[in-house]
Amino acid sequence: MKKVKIKKDQSAYFWFFSFFALILLFFFGITSPYLGVYWLFGILFGFVLQKSRFCFVAAFRDPIIAGSTSLFRAVLVAMAIMTVSFTLIQYNAIQGGAIAIPGRISPVGVHTIAGGFIFGIGMVIAGGCATGTLMRIGEGFLMQGIVLVGFLIGTLWGAWDYPWWERVFISKSPTVHLAQYFGWTGAVLFQLVLIAVLYYIAKKYDDQNNILL
Amino acid sequence: MKQKIIIGPWSYLTGAILLAILNTLLFAVMHTPWQITTAITYWAAWILKFFGGTPENWHYFANSASRSEGLSQHFLSNNLSLMNLGVILGALLAVLIASQFRVKKIKSPKQIIAALLGGIIMGYGTRIALGCNIGAFFSAIPSLSLSGWVWGISAFIGAWIGSKLLIKYLL
Repeated sequence: MKKVKIKKDQSAYFWFFSFFALILLFFFGITSPYLGVYWLFGILFGFVLQKSRFCFVAAFRDPIIAGSTSLFRAVLVAMAIMTVSFTLIQYNAIQGGAIAIPGRISPVGVHTIAGGFIFGIGMVIAGGCATGTLMRIGEGFLMQGIVLVGFLIGTLWGAWDYPWWERVFISKSPTVHLAQYFGWTGAVLFQLVLIAVLYYIAKKYDDQNNILL
Repeated sequence: MKQKIIIGPWSYLTGAILLAILNTLLFAVMHTPWQITTAITYWAAWILKFFGGTPENWHYFANSASRSEGLSQHFLSNNLSLMNLGVILGALLAVLIASQFRVKKIKSPKQIIAALLGGIIMGYGTRIALGCNIGAFFSAIPSLSLSGWVWGISAFIGAWIGSKLLIKYLL
Protein backbone atom coordinates (compact mmCIF):
# COMPACT_ATOMS: atom_id res chain seq x y z
CA MET A 1 0.00 0.00 0.00
CA LYS A 2 1.22 3.43 -0.88
CA LYS A 3 1.91 5.65 2.06
CA VAL A 4 0.10 8.95 1.95
CA LYS A 5 1.67 11.76 3.89
CA ILE A 6 -0.98 13.54 5.91
CA LYS A 7 -0.10 17.00 7.08
CA LYS A 8 -0.67 17.46 10.76
CA ASP A 9 -3.11 20.13 11.73
CA GLN A 10 -1.15 22.93 13.40
CA SER A 11 -4.01 25.28 14.23
CA ALA A 12 -3.62 24.62 17.96
CA TYR A 13 -0.07 26.00 17.73
CA PHE A 14 -1.37 28.95 15.75
CA TRP A 15 -3.82 29.83 18.52
CA PHE A 16 -1.18 29.30 21.19
CA PHE A 17 1.30 31.66 19.54
CA SER A 18 -1.42 34.20 18.74
CA PHE A 19 -2.41 34.22 22.40
CA PHE A 20 1.25 34.58 23.36
CA ALA A 21 1.61 37.52 20.93
CA LEU A 22 -1.47 39.16 22.41
CA ILE A 23 -0.20 38.87 25.99
CA LEU A 24 3.16 40.29 24.92
CA LEU A 25 1.33 43.12 23.15
CA PHE A 26 -0.21 44.02 26.50
CA PHE A 27 3.13 43.94 28.33
CA PHE A 28 4.96 45.96 25.67
CA GLY A 29 2.07 48.38 25.29
CA ILE A 30 1.82 49.05 29.02
CA THR A 31 5.56 49.84 29.11
CA SER A 32 5.12 52.32 26.28
CA PRO A 33 2.32 52.56 23.70
CA TYR A 34 4.73 52.89 20.82
CA LEU A 35 6.50 49.63 21.71
CA GLY A 36 3.16 47.89 21.27
CA VAL A 37 2.69 49.58 17.89
CA TYR A 38 6.09 48.38 16.64
CA TRP A 39 5.43 44.84 17.89
CA LEU A 40 2.09 44.75 16.08
CA PHE A 41 3.52 46.15 12.85
CA GLY A 42 6.35 43.60 12.92
CA ILE A 43 3.84 40.74 13.20
CA LEU A 44 1.72 42.15 10.35
CA PHE A 45 4.77 42.65 8.11
CA GLY A 46 5.96 39.10 8.81
CA PHE A 47 2.52 37.63 8.17
CA VAL A 48 2.08 39.42 4.84
CA LEU A 49 5.65 38.67 3.71
CA GLN A 50 5.18 34.95 4.33
CA LYS A 51 1.65 34.63 2.97
CA SER A 52 2.53 36.35 -0.29
CA ARG A 53 6.01 34.71 -0.51
CA PHE A 54 7.37 38.23 -0.89
CA CYS A 55 11.10 37.86 -1.39
CA PHE A 56 13.33 40.72 -2.39
CA VAL A 57 16.12 38.35 -3.42
CA ALA A 58 13.81 36.76 -5.98
CA ALA A 59 12.71 40.21 -7.15
CA PHE A 60 16.33 41.03 -8.03
CA ARG A 61 17.54 37.55 -9.01
CA ASP A 62 14.70 35.96 -10.99
CA PRO A 63 14.88 38.46 -13.86
CA ILE A 64 18.52 37.36 -14.25
CA ILE A 65 18.36 33.61 -13.80
CA ALA A 66 14.78 32.79 -14.83
CA GLY A 67 13.73 35.75 -16.98
CA SER A 68 10.80 36.22 -14.62
CA THR A 69 9.90 39.72 -13.46
CA SER A 70 6.56 39.14 -11.68
CA LEU A 71 7.98 39.82 -8.22
CA PHE A 72 10.10 42.71 -9.48
CA ARG A 73 6.93 44.25 -10.94
CA ALA A 74 5.09 43.74 -7.63
CA VAL A 75 7.87 45.71 -5.90
CA LEU A 76 7.35 48.47 -8.48
CA VAL A 77 3.62 48.56 -7.70
CA ALA A 78 4.37 48.95 -3.99
CA MET A 79 6.86 51.71 -4.82
CA ALA A 80 4.26 53.55 -6.90
CA ILE A 81 1.65 53.42 -4.12
CA MET A 82 4.13 54.55 -1.47
CA THR A 83 5.55 57.30 -3.68
CA VAL A 84 2.16 58.98 -3.47
CA SER A 85 1.42 58.18 0.18
CA PHE A 86 4.92 58.99 1.51
CA THR A 87 5.04 62.26 -0.38
CA LEU A 88 1.68 63.29 1.09
CA ILE A 89 2.98 62.54 4.59
CA GLN A 90 6.19 64.48 3.92
CA TYR A 91 4.36 67.42 2.32
CA ASN A 92 1.89 67.67 5.19
CA ALA A 93 4.69 67.48 7.76
CA ILE A 94 6.46 70.39 6.07
CA GLN A 95 3.21 72.35 5.76
CA GLY A 96 2.64 71.66 9.45
CA GLY A 97 5.97 73.31 10.28
CA ALA A 98 8.38 70.37 10.43
CA ILE A 99 12.00 71.51 10.06
CA ALA A 100 13.28 68.40 8.28
CA ILE A 101 11.47 66.25 5.74
CA PRO A 102 10.56 62.94 7.45
CA GLY A 103 11.37 59.57 5.85
CA ARG A 104 14.44 57.62 4.80
CA ILE A 105 16.53 60.25 3.07
CA SER A 106 20.24 59.46 3.14
CA PRO A 107 23.45 60.88 1.70
CA VAL A 108 24.12 59.32 -1.68
CA GLY A 109 27.62 58.46 -2.88
CA VAL A 110 30.31 55.81 -3.25
CA HIS A 111 29.23 54.18 0.04
CA THR A 112 25.70 53.69 -1.35
CA ILE A 113 27.05 52.00 -4.48
CA ALA A 114 29.59 49.86 -2.60
CA GLY A 115 27.12 48.85 0.11
CA GLY A 116 24.28 48.14 -2.31
CA PHE A 117 26.58 46.16 -4.58
CA ILE A 118 27.95 43.83 -1.90
CA PHE A 119 24.49 43.49 -0.37
CA GLY A 120 23.25 42.38 -3.80
CA ILE A 121 25.93 39.70 -4.07
CA GLY A 122 25.42 38.59 -0.47
CA MET A 123 21.65 38.23 -0.62
CA VAL A 124 21.82 36.03 -3.71
CA ILE A 125 24.49 33.64 -2.42
CA ALA A 126 22.90 33.51 1.04
CA GLY A 127 19.44 33.07 -0.47
CA GLY A 128 17.83 35.72 1.71
CA CYS A 129 17.81 39.46 2.27
CA ALA A 130 17.16 41.19 5.61
CA THR A 131 13.40 40.57 5.57
CA GLY A 132 13.66 37.15 3.90
CA THR A 133 16.12 35.92 6.53
CA LEU A 134 13.86 36.88 9.44
CA MET A 135 10.81 35.49 7.64
CA ARG A 136 12.44 32.12 6.91
CA ILE A 137 13.67 31.76 10.49
CA GLY A 138 9.99 32.01 11.47
CA GLU A 139 9.15 29.40 8.83
CA GLY A 140 11.66 26.99 10.35
CA PHE A 141 14.65 27.21 8.00
CA LEU A 142 17.82 26.37 9.94
CA MET A 143 19.94 27.75 7.09
CA GLN A 144 18.67 31.27 7.67
CA GLY A 145 19.86 31.02 11.27
CA ILE A 146 23.38 30.73 9.82
CA VAL A 147 22.72 33.69 7.51
CA LEU A 148 21.66 35.70 10.57
CA VAL A 149 24.90 34.77 12.38
CA GLY A 150 26.82 36.02 9.35
CA PHE A 151 24.65 39.13 9.25
CA LEU A 152 25.42 39.87 12.92
CA ILE A 153 29.17 39.49 12.30
CA GLY A 154 28.94 41.67 9.19
CA THR A 155 27.02 44.52 10.80
CA LEU A 156 29.47 44.65 13.71
CA TRP A 157 32.38 44.67 11.30
CA GLY A 158 30.71 47.43 9.31
CA ALA A 159 29.98 49.43 12.47
CA TRP A 160 33.66 49.10 13.46
CA ASP A 161 34.80 50.37 10.03
CA TYR A 162 32.06 53.00 9.87
CA PRO A 163 34.24 56.01 10.93
CA TRP A 164 36.42 55.47 7.86
CA TRP A 165 33.47 55.32 5.47
CA GLU A 166 31.92 58.31 7.16
CA ARG A 167 35.09 60.39 6.93
CA VAL A 168 36.03 59.46 3.37
CA PHE A 169 32.61 59.20 1.69
CA ILE A 170 29.43 59.71 3.72
CA SER A 171 30.29 63.12 5.18
CA LYS A 172 31.25 64.39 1.71
CA SER A 173 28.16 63.05 -0.04
CA PRO A 174 25.08 65.14 -0.81
CA THR A 175 21.64 64.24 0.51
CA VAL A 176 19.33 64.49 -2.47
CA HIS A 177 15.56 64.73 -2.12
CA LEU A 178 13.89 64.74 -5.53
CA ALA A 179 11.44 67.50 -4.59
CA GLN A 180 14.40 69.86 -4.21
CA TYR A 181 14.92 69.63 -7.94
CA PHE A 182 11.49 68.96 -9.40
CA GLY A 183 9.14 70.44 -6.79
CA TRP A 184 6.69 68.20 -4.93
CA THR A 185 4.33 67.58 -7.86
CA GLY A 186 7.16 67.28 -10.36
CA ALA A 187 9.05 64.79 -8.18
CA VAL A 188 6.01 62.55 -7.75
CA LEU A 189 5.15 62.64 -11.46
CA PHE A 190 8.78 62.04 -12.45
CA GLN A 191 9.07 59.05 -10.14
CA LEU A 192 5.71 57.57 -11.16
CA VAL A 193 6.59 57.83 -14.85
CA LEU A 194 9.99 56.24 -14.18
CA ILE A 195 8.29 53.36 -12.31
CA ALA A 196 5.74 52.95 -15.11
CA VAL A 197 8.50 52.80 -17.74
CA LEU A 198 10.42 50.23 -15.69
CA TYR A 199 7.21 48.22 -15.32
CA TYR A 200 6.64 48.26 -19.08
CA ILE A 201 10.23 47.18 -19.81
CA ALA A 202 10.03 44.44 -17.16
CA LYS A 203 6.78 43.12 -18.64
CA LYS A 204 8.22 43.03 -22.18
CA TYR A 205 11.37 41.35 -20.86
CA ASP A 206 9.28 38.75 -19.03
CA ASP A 207 7.20 37.98 -22.14
CA GLN A 208 10.37 37.26 -24.11
CA ASN A 209 12.62 35.60 -21.54
CA ASN A 210 10.55 33.87 -18.88
CA ILE A 211 11.65 30.22 -18.79
CA LEU A 212 9.05 29.33 -16.15
CA LEU A 213 6.06 29.89 -18.42
CA MET B 1 -12.12 31.89 -0.78
CA LYS B 2 -11.56 31.39 2.94
CA GLN B 3 -9.16 28.55 2.17
CA LYS B 4 -7.25 30.77 -0.24
CA ILE B 5 -6.78 33.46 2.40
CA ILE B 6 -5.72 31.07 5.15
CA ILE B 7 -3.60 28.64 3.17
CA GLY B 8 -2.25 31.01 0.56
CA PRO B 9 -0.09 31.80 -1.20
CA TRP B 10 -1.47 35.25 -1.82
CA SER B 11 -0.49 36.84 -5.10
CA TYR B 12 2.65 39.00 -5.20
CA LEU B 13 0.43 41.93 -6.08
CA THR B 14 -1.68 41.40 -2.93
CA GLY B 15 1.53 41.28 -0.89
CA ALA B 16 2.87 44.43 -2.54
CA ILE B 17 -0.30 46.42 -1.88
CA LEU B 18 -0.54 45.27 1.75
CA LEU B 19 3.13 45.99 2.44
CA ALA B 20 2.73 49.45 0.89
CA ILE B 21 -0.31 50.15 3.09
CA LEU B 22 1.43 48.86 6.24
CA ASN B 23 4.57 50.88 5.56
CA THR B 24 2.46 53.99 4.95
CA LEU B 25 0.54 53.48 8.21
CA LEU B 26 3.76 52.94 10.15
CA PHE B 27 5.24 56.11 8.62
CA ALA B 28 2.07 58.10 9.38
CA VAL B 29 1.81 56.89 12.99
CA MET B 30 5.47 56.72 14.06
CA HIS B 31 6.94 59.33 11.66
CA THR B 32 9.62 56.93 10.39
CA PRO B 33 9.04 54.14 7.87
CA TRP B 34 10.03 50.48 8.11
CA GLN B 35 13.66 49.51 8.73
CA ILE B 36 15.36 46.29 9.75
CA THR B 37 19.12 46.41 10.10
CA THR B 38 19.63 49.14 12.67
CA ALA B 39 18.12 46.70 15.17
CA ILE B 40 20.18 43.79 13.81
CA THR B 41 23.26 45.88 14.57
CA TYR B 42 21.94 46.39 18.11
CA TRP B 43 21.42 42.63 18.42
CA ALA B 44 25.04 42.06 17.43
CA ALA B 45 26.29 44.78 19.80
CA TRP B 46 24.20 43.45 22.71
CA ILE B 47 25.63 39.97 22.16
CA LEU B 48 29.13 41.45 22.05
CA LYS B 49 28.42 43.32 25.30
CA PHE B 50 27.21 40.09 26.89
CA PHE B 51 30.58 38.51 26.10
CA GLY B 52 32.45 41.44 27.62
CA GLY B 53 32.90 43.71 24.59
CA THR B 54 32.50 47.46 24.87
CA PRO B 55 30.70 48.60 21.69
CA GLU B 56 29.39 51.63 23.59
CA ASN B 57 32.87 53.11 23.19
CA TRP B 58 32.91 52.61 19.44
CA HIS B 59 32.70 55.74 17.36
CA TYR B 60 29.66 54.33 15.51
CA PHE B 61 27.60 54.18 18.71
CA ALA B 62 29.22 56.84 20.90
CA ASN B 63 28.94 59.60 18.28
CA SER B 64 25.23 59.15 17.73
CA ALA B 65 22.64 59.99 20.37
CA SER B 66 20.01 57.64 18.90
CA ARG B 67 22.44 54.73 18.52
CA SER B 68 23.79 55.24 22.07
CA GLU B 69 20.24 55.14 23.33
CA GLY B 70 19.42 52.06 21.28
CA LEU B 71 22.49 50.30 22.60
CA SER B 72 21.50 51.04 26.20
CA GLN B 73 18.21 49.14 25.68
CA HIS B 74 17.74 45.40 25.18
CA PHE B 75 15.98 42.85 22.95
CA LEU B 76 12.52 43.47 24.39
CA SER B 77 12.73 47.17 25.21
CA ASN B 78 13.98 48.56 21.90
CA ASN B 79 11.22 49.38 19.43
CA LEU B 80 13.10 48.32 16.29
CA SER B 81 14.28 45.08 17.87
CA LEU B 82 10.68 44.29 18.80
CA MET B 83 9.54 44.97 15.25
CA ASN B 84 12.10 42.45 13.89
CA LEU B 85 11.05 39.84 16.46
CA GLY B 86 7.49 40.56 15.35
CA VAL B 87 8.42 39.79 11.72
CA ILE B 88 9.74 36.37 12.79
CA LEU B 89 6.61 35.66 14.85
CA GLY B 90 4.31 36.95 12.11
CA ALA B 91 5.91 34.58 9.59
CA LEU B 92 5.57 31.72 12.09
CA LEU B 93 1.87 32.49 12.56
CA ALA B 94 1.40 32.62 8.78
CA VAL B 95 2.81 29.09 8.34
CA LEU B 96 1.04 27.68 11.39
CA ILE B 97 -2.40 28.87 10.31
CA ALA B 98 -1.84 26.92 7.08
CA SER B 99 -0.34 23.93 8.96
CA GLN B 100 2.82 24.31 6.88
CA PHE B 101 5.43 24.62 9.60
CA ARG B 102 8.32 22.21 9.52
CA VAL B 103 11.98 22.49 10.42
CA LYS B 104 14.02 22.59 7.24
CA LYS B 105 17.46 21.15 7.71
CA ILE B 106 20.69 22.26 6.13
CA LYS B 107 21.57 20.20 3.08
CA SER B 108 25.30 20.59 2.59
CA PRO B 109 28.44 22.11 4.15
CA LYS B 110 28.84 24.19 1.01
CA GLN B 111 25.52 25.87 1.83
CA ILE B 112 26.73 26.75 5.34
CA ILE B 113 29.76 28.57 3.93
CA ALA B 114 27.60 30.40 1.37
CA ALA B 115 25.07 31.38 4.04
CA LEU B 116 27.75 32.65 6.40
CA LEU B 117 29.72 34.54 3.74
CA GLY B 118 26.57 35.96 2.17
CA GLY B 119 25.35 37.07 5.59
CA ILE B 120 28.65 38.76 6.46
CA ILE B 121 28.88 40.82 3.27
CA MET B 122 25.20 41.73 3.47
CA GLY B 123 25.67 42.89 7.06
CA TYR B 124 28.75 44.94 6.19
CA GLY B 125 26.95 46.42 3.20
CA THR B 126 24.06 47.62 5.35
CA ARG B 127 26.32 49.65 7.63
CA ILE B 128 28.12 51.50 4.85
CA ALA B 129 25.06 52.00 2.60
CA LEU B 130 23.03 53.11 5.65
CA GLY B 131 20.41 50.37 5.32
CA CYS B 132 19.23 47.14 3.70
CA ASN B 133 16.62 46.21 1.11
CA ILE B 134 14.05 47.86 3.35
CA GLY B 135 15.66 50.96 4.88
CA ALA B 136 17.91 51.86 1.95
CA PHE B 137 15.46 50.79 -0.78
CA PHE B 138 11.85 49.92 0.04
CA SER B 139 11.43 52.91 2.38
CA ALA B 140 13.97 55.18 0.65
CA ILE B 141 12.62 55.36 -2.92
CA PRO B 142 9.11 56.36 -1.75
CA SER B 143 10.78 59.00 0.48
CA LEU B 144 11.95 60.58 -2.83
CA SER B 145 15.56 59.98 -1.80
CA LEU B 146 17.99 59.60 -4.70
CA SER B 147 19.97 57.18 -2.49
CA GLY B 148 17.15 54.63 -2.86
CA TRP B 149 17.50 54.51 -6.63
CA VAL B 150 21.28 54.33 -6.51
CA TRP B 151 21.08 51.52 -3.94
CA GLY B 152 18.58 49.64 -6.11
CA ILE B 153 20.75 49.83 -9.25
CA SER B 154 23.87 48.82 -7.27
CA ALA B 155 22.10 45.89 -5.62
CA PHE B 156 20.78 44.77 -9.01
CA ILE B 157 24.31 44.67 -10.44
CA GLY B 158 25.47 42.86 -7.30
CA ALA B 159 22.61 40.36 -7.66
CA TRP B 160 23.66 39.76 -11.28
CA ILE B 161 27.21 38.90 -10.20
CA GLY B 162 25.87 36.89 -7.26
CA SER B 163 23.71 34.86 -9.66
CA LYS B 164 26.76 34.06 -11.81
CA LEU B 165 28.64 32.92 -8.69
CA LEU B 166 25.62 30.89 -7.60
CA ILE B 167 25.39 29.08 -10.91
CA LYS B 168 29.14 28.48 -11.08
CA TYR B 169 29.86 27.31 -7.54
CA LEU B 170 26.70 26.37 -5.73
CA LEU B 171 24.17 24.82 -8.05
